[in-house]
Amino acid sequence: MDREEKALEETVDSLTHKVAELKTSLQTMIMRLESEWESISWTQLIDNYVVFSAQIQNLMKIVKKDKTPALRNRLLFPLLLSPDIDEELMKLTEGRVQSFNHDMVPDYLRTKPEPEIEAKENVIVGKACNLSADQSQKQMTSANKIVNNMTDLVKNMRDEWETETNRQNQTQTSLMNDTTALIAAITFGKGLKAMAPSMKGSAPPVAPSAAQTSGSGRPTGKAPATIKTNIKAAANIHPYQR
Amino acid sequence: MDAVSVGAMGGVGARRVPSMVAQQEYLLQGSILDDSCEQLLHKLRGFCDNCDSSPETFHDHEMVFTIRAPNGSNTSLRVRKSLDVPHNPYHLRYLGQQELGDKNRATIVRNCIDCSTSSDCVPFLQEMGFKLDYEFVLKGYMFRKGRMKVMVSKLFRVQPNAGPEALDPISQSYLVELSVNAPSGQEGIADEMKLFADSLKPLVILDKVDTRRLQM
Repeated sequence: MDREEKALEETVDSLTHKVAELKTSLQTMIMRLESEWESISWTQLIDNYVVFSAQIQNLMKIVKKDKTPALRNRLLFPLLLSPDIDEELMKLTEGRVQSFNHDMVPDYLRTKPEPEIEAKENVIVGKACNLSADQSQKQMTSANKIVNNMTDLVKNMRDEWETETNRQNQTQTSLMNDTTALIAAITFGKGLKAMAPSMKGSAPPVAPSAAQTSGSGRPTGKAPATIKTNIKAAANIHPYQR
Repeated sequence: MDAVSVGAMGGVGARRVPSMVAQQEYLLQGSILDDSCEQLLHKLRGFCDNCDSSPETFHDHEMVFTIRAPNGSNTSLRVRKSLDVPHNPYHLRYLGQQELGDKNRATIVRNCIDCSTSSDCVPFLQEMGFKLDYEFVLKGYMFRKGRMKVMVSKLFRVQPNAGPEALDPISQSYLVELSVNAPSGQEGIADEMKLFADSLKPLVILDKVDTRRLQM
């Protein structure tokens, strides 16, 4: 018995903590809404709701933990209702609840939904039970299909959106053509030997001096041409040929 | 032959080796548009050694000489001289063909032999039978990071009548090269380079460019 009571106390403590956290985040959101409602964007609101859902999940985790005793076996019922203003209650609830009277007790200590809502729910549950097996199956598959279509749509939109923004942000910093042109020029002289054919005519008489001075770089355009013609003529009588 | 390597092309500082050591060059190349070059320079300045001093500039004139052997195969030698420090020695370099093999290797690997010479190099080559194939001017910045060297340079065509001072830029981009010269058989260089290259993305994409494909 003691163990159970201790466990119950611990559970109630942790529940109180979590509920207090949830309360603060709800408060902050309400304040934000009141003060910044003109400037707030829907993304920020969604962030707040995400926080809430996370906190509620934490609550549920505590409730479902193995250590927690079965809370549904415990009853909470009011012993005394009075319309008088209760100072203790005011302090506990930071002035929100003034008295423990007939109006607020049904709402705060409710465990079942309201009667009208309960009736509506019963109607719906009755309808569902009356459905035959394959009808319900069909409805399930169509519901699944719709949801899958929606998620695909959203994913595609997101991908497109992201590539759009990326493309706009990326500026091209290099051109493949330039890369190949530069590398070809350095490695094979592509584009650098262009002068050779046009200079062939004027080259021959300047041949020996051109060869001598090509190092200084001035008649460089003529030099390749003369060199080429020399090679063609003198290939057979190359001085160093073995 | 003693080899003393200095300058933009291959050097780690003055180094005397008793014989020509055949090294391998690991290379990654890419390019970047002129407008974005500033960003790249800032980034490199941060990544590389000596970030507090301004990047080292170079202005080199490279000439490629080719000799045609009787069996039809060509051999090329590259002569590079500095245009802004005229009394620097000329740099003679042999570059082998790109090594085929490991497709997974991130970089181009080719044999390279470097040597510094005097200005007599050019007439000497020509007397030997080499002919000037093509030439160009490279002007840019050099950065080092450990044993890696990054060169960001603009390639210019040499005007035939005006000499190396009159420059005609080729394309609107800077050539970016990441290279390491190391004795053959060293592991891990390619991966080190790939890591560095990845850090420069997406500003410039340094990649292994298959030069044989470009030739066609």
